[in-house]
Amino acid sequence: MKTDNRAFIVRILLTITISLVIGAFFILLIGESPIEAYIALVKGAFGSKLRIGTTLAGFTPLLLTSVAFAVAAKAGAFNVGVEGAVFLGALVAAYIGINWTFLPKPILLIACFLGAILTGAIWSLIPALLKVYYNVNEVTVTILANSVALYITSYFVSGPMSAGGTVSQSHPVTVTLPKIMFPSNANAGLFIALAITICLHFYLKKSKYGIKLSFTGTNSLNAEYAGMNPKKVIIYSMMISGALGGIAGCIEVLGVHGVFLNNFAVGLGTNGMLASLIVKNNLVAVPFMAFFLATLNAGAMGIQQNTNVPKSIVDTIIAIFILIATMDGIIAYVKNRRLKKTNKTEVTR
Amino acid sequence: MSDYIIEMHNITKEFGDIVAISDGQFNLIEGEIHSLIGENGAGKSTLMKLLFGMYEPTSGDIIYKGEKLTHHTPKESIELGIGMVHQEFMLIDDLTVWENVILGSEPTKGFSIDASKAKKEIQAYIDKYKLDVDLSKKINQISVGEAQRVEIIKVLSKGADIIILDEPTAVLTPQEVDSLFVILQHLKDDGKTIVFISHKMNEVLSISDRITVMRQAKYVDTIENKNVTPTMLSQMMIGREVFLDNKKTKPKENFTEIGLKVENVWVPGDKVISKLKGVSLEVYKGEILGVAGIDGNGQLELEEAIAGLRKIEKGSVYISKNETTNKTPIEIRKKGLTYIPSNRNTRGLNRQMSIETNLVSTILDEERFSKSGLINFKAIKENALKLLEDFDIRPRNPELLTSAQSGGNAQKVVVAREISHASEVLIASQPTRGVDIGAIESIRSFVQSASENGVAVLLISADINEILSLSDRIIVMFEGEIVANLKSSEANEENLGVYMMGGKLGGFAELGEELHNEDR
Amino acid sequence: MNWQNIFNASLLYATWRSATPIIYAALCASITQQANILNIGTEGIMLMGAFTAVSTSYLTGSWILGVLAAMVAGMLMAFIMAIGNLEFSADITAIGMGINLFAIAFTKFLLNSVLGKSGTFSDPAIDPIPRVSLPFLEGNELMNRLFNNWALTEWFVIVLIIILTYVLYKTVWGLRVRSVGQHEVAVTSVGINAKLIQYQVLLISGVVGGLAGAHLSLGYSNLFTENMTNQRGFMGVAAMFFGRAHPVQTVIGCLVFGLADSIGARLQAYGWPSQIVLMMPYIVTIIVLAISMMNKKHRENKVKSALA
Repeated sequence: MKTDNRAFIVRILLTITISLVIGAFFILLIGESPIEAYIALVKGAFGSKLRIGTTLAGFTPLLLTSVAFAVAAKAGAFNVGVEGAVFLGALVAAYIGINWTFLPKPILLIACFLGAILTGAIWSLIPALLKVYYNVNEVTVTILANSVALYITSYFVSGPMSAGGTVSQSHPVTVTLPKIMFPSNANAGLFIALAITICLHFYLKKSKYGIKLSFTGTNSLNAEYAGMNPKKVIIYSMMISGALGGIAGCIEVLGVHGVFLNNFAVGLGTNGMLASLIVKNNLVAVPFMAFFLATLNAGAMGIQQNTNVPKSIVDTIIAIFILIATMDGIIAYVKNRRLKKTNKTEVTR
Repeated sequence: MSDYIIEMHNITKEFGDIVAISDGQFNLIEGEIHSLIGENGAGKSTLMKLLFGMYEPTSGDIIYKGEKLTHHTPKESIELGIGMVHQEFMLIDDLTVWENVILGSEPTKGFSIDASKAKKEIQAYIDKYKLDVDLSKKINQISVGEAQRVEIIKVLSKGADIIILDEPTAVLTPQEVDSLFVILQHLKDDGKTIVFISHKMNEVLSISDRITVMRQAKYVDTIENKNVTPTMLSQMMIGREVFLDNKKTKPKENFTEIGLKVENVWVPGDKVISKLKGVSLEVYKGEILGVAGIDGNGQLELEEAIAGLRKIEKGSVYISKNETTNKTPIEIRKKGLTYIPSNRNTRGLNRQMSIETNLVSTILDEERFSKSGLINFKAIKENALKLLEDFDIRPRNPELLTSAQSGGNAQKVVVAREISHASEVLIASQPTRGVDIGAIESIRSFVQSASENGVAVLLISADINEILSLSDRIIVMFEGEIVANLKSSEANEENLGVYMMGGKLGGFAELGEELHNEDR
Repeated sequence: MNWQNIFNASLLYATWRSATPIIYAALCASITQQANILNIGTEGIMLMGAFTAVSTSYLTGSWILGVLAAMVAGMLMAFIMAIGNLEFSADITAIGMGINLFAIAFTKFLLNSVLGKSGTFSDPAIDPIPRVSLPFLEGNELMNRLFNNWALTEWFVIVLIIILTYVLYKTVWGLRVRSVGQHEVAVTSVGINAKLIQYQVLLISGVVGGLAGAHLSLGYSNLFTENMTNQRGFMGVAAMFFGRAHPVQTVIGCLVFGLADSIGARLQAYGWPSQIVLMMPYIVTIIVLAISMMNKKHRENKVKSALA
């Protein structure tokens, strides 16, 4: 087991290096200095208290969306619809936060979270049912549904829930999460996200559900035979996935913006998926990769502001990450070449 | 150098850590029927796959008509006139017989496939070798025996002079085996050379000119058929004398309580002939009821329906008087079912999980393994260590992934899990398929001991000898129905074979009369 | 609401116009699906194609070069997927999503750094795909509105559908592709190189996907916007599922989406909120996909039923 972990870390580091090199290549191609760009990146993420705070603020929801994707992926379902859950969860949390003022503040806070959790869970329930009972490809459905979620929230926030004015946003919520590291957007939601991640990790490791999840994701026929009810496991995992997305949205509304801001979360779900895919949905590695991506994203602004390199280079590097990281077989391929040289036959896949 | 058309010298083959062949020798004389015999896992199938070019030998030489073959592919083997009929059919369900046959050497007219030319050529083979195949049917509409004849046509139409058949009789009834042997004789008369891979001694003794024996990945000897006796052959195959008598020593009687009752069940099936249409049976506690039949006649549907993995559209199932029709798999297990499934790798085990986890996958709800949803990992390990000892499972490492085990040991994991758990009913389906001889004997004795402990055992097997040696009573399945029900003392290979083909006892007597009348 | 203003002859052409990019995407996905490879990367291939077509057309002044460059770009994207999946055992969905995300990021990067623009890029120097003018139709108003002045690629897609159907179901290569899709081992056992066929379908799919993008940016419109495919690639994949990867049957799904899109545009004129209208094609796609899979399940259950 130990050597597996070490090999895994080495692979990730290797993938990061290769992607940074390819990124440097593109930067050179447009006539800029990769060194300058990467320094601007690091400064952009960590250069000052404000910047560190911004990085943490970006990390918080990303942590949740990447764990959300990972949990569903372990059951064998690609829940690309986490983004939709974020938006809808946020909308419901905002609604509750604005309108249910008859509740005392602490209860109202909990109610916002519960609303977001419920919304996210139900939103992901539908594609889960379609997948499990009718074999509908969940990637296709959830991606299309993300657009639907986006338009729904956009409609509400420029219409019925609008606060008026030029920027589409709702009225302010009456309860918020305290900020840490003012004046950045970092807030107490960070601790909530970390706590949830750690609890979830232990839950999956130690519980019956955790074992059923591993069995279902790797061989659902055997899981069915053993009485583990893989259909239920998949549905349950997708719902957890959606709920986590909802929580992320709730934190953004209550902790960062104080209102529901139109289009606030575009890319959150996608980046979360990226982080998880890169580390093959390994729950221990996911938080670290999410933090790394948050750093890159925060630093991207730094690149754009201080050099002539557009920040889309960062997205490109991250995408290259994924492409290389999904290629499991690269390690086997290298092993094969070495074995062939020592004259033994191929390792079967 | 020799009159051999094929020679294989000093062959070794390793797949990673697994040694499939440590000493392979083989030669072939033109125009002979040469059998390659050995137990499961002896290496005979692998040896021929090397000849056919599907894998490359780790070391050793393959010589065709005096010339060494290196790095050759199946495509090149076909061009040289070597054809192989594999154990698992290489046929595409949704395409027709003729499309399957021409695949790889399709005749064309301009840009399109010349369908009429293809059909004409194939019909010529059908007529020449009297192969009884309908070339416009789709593969998912034809019987297993017919599918095998399609594989033979495939091989012939690509110009094979050397035909390798890998365990061709595994899926045939005794009568179909006789038809196959007639076809092989026709081919031999036509000048073809045949390699016949099998683990069944009586077949090999009946058709071969020469016999090569392999045992535990090594070459043993090549002898002329006329110089060998069954006892000699079995000693070469196993290295010790084996009692060839298959009958049970002590038939049991006087069962009183019914353990499993299946009442008029109708169950959907992937093929028309495998749908269950009104199947009923009873298994008494302590009894072993053998279900004989060729694979694909509804056995899978039956075992899955009882276990809750397949819908029962009409009818009911009872375990010890409790109705379990269409309940969930876990509920049925809790009512007393244990189940060794026919498909070890997809159903029976999760190959990506450890031995210890697989050993408890069906009983996670038990208190000793989980309390309030949390798992007791220590208990799981202790359970595994005990079962590994009791059932002699190798290697003795509970944390090892089951994918690292041999077929026999992996099957023993399944058997250990299902038998060590007290139950009312045990379904044992194809329990020794793909398992080496040492494990076969022990698995059969475990099944036996389960019945001695009062469990009602439903034994489903395509292996007639297994059925005959273990069962107290035998039923035969054919096209989704039960067509015979007899005491094991009344059953033998011949009458079971007749039932398995859908005939009735006395049927062949009638058939004989009909033929006799036609001749007049 | 004046129904006649919504449901009139020009709706037919509007539907066809909306549907065409999705048909190209559906064909792209169908080609690989016949070999049992799910091309989730269709969206990314299409987007790369769209950008390459516009930028090449802008830089060279030739739509032909734009289209060709787009096809090459599409093929390259597909090649990355092929290498990843076939050589390095990357999960096809994961690497497909990787391609999608890469395309969004990289096209944005190139737009920013090479063309120096952001958001939308439109310029008179972009040479669009020519329209086919059929003067003999001008006499009849109905026919004129329906069939005149189609982009060349709107005509070509019909040719492509016919060619693909013929190739898949009547030629040797098509037979082999379908066989690989059903039982790869059987194909290898007769000496056919299954992996080669898998490469071929992916590369050809990439070419068609690139063409889809070129049509989108040079035929359907005459500009490039960030993420302009806007999930049309996924609608194409949905249409592929709906039509069981048969080129002709997938067209029906695409037409339904095109219809939803066009009706939606008209409803906006009647004061329907823009977001509701914009949602419609997506919702329709999801519903159509769900219904078609449910139907498929019911049909399968009926065939397998013992009571049948």
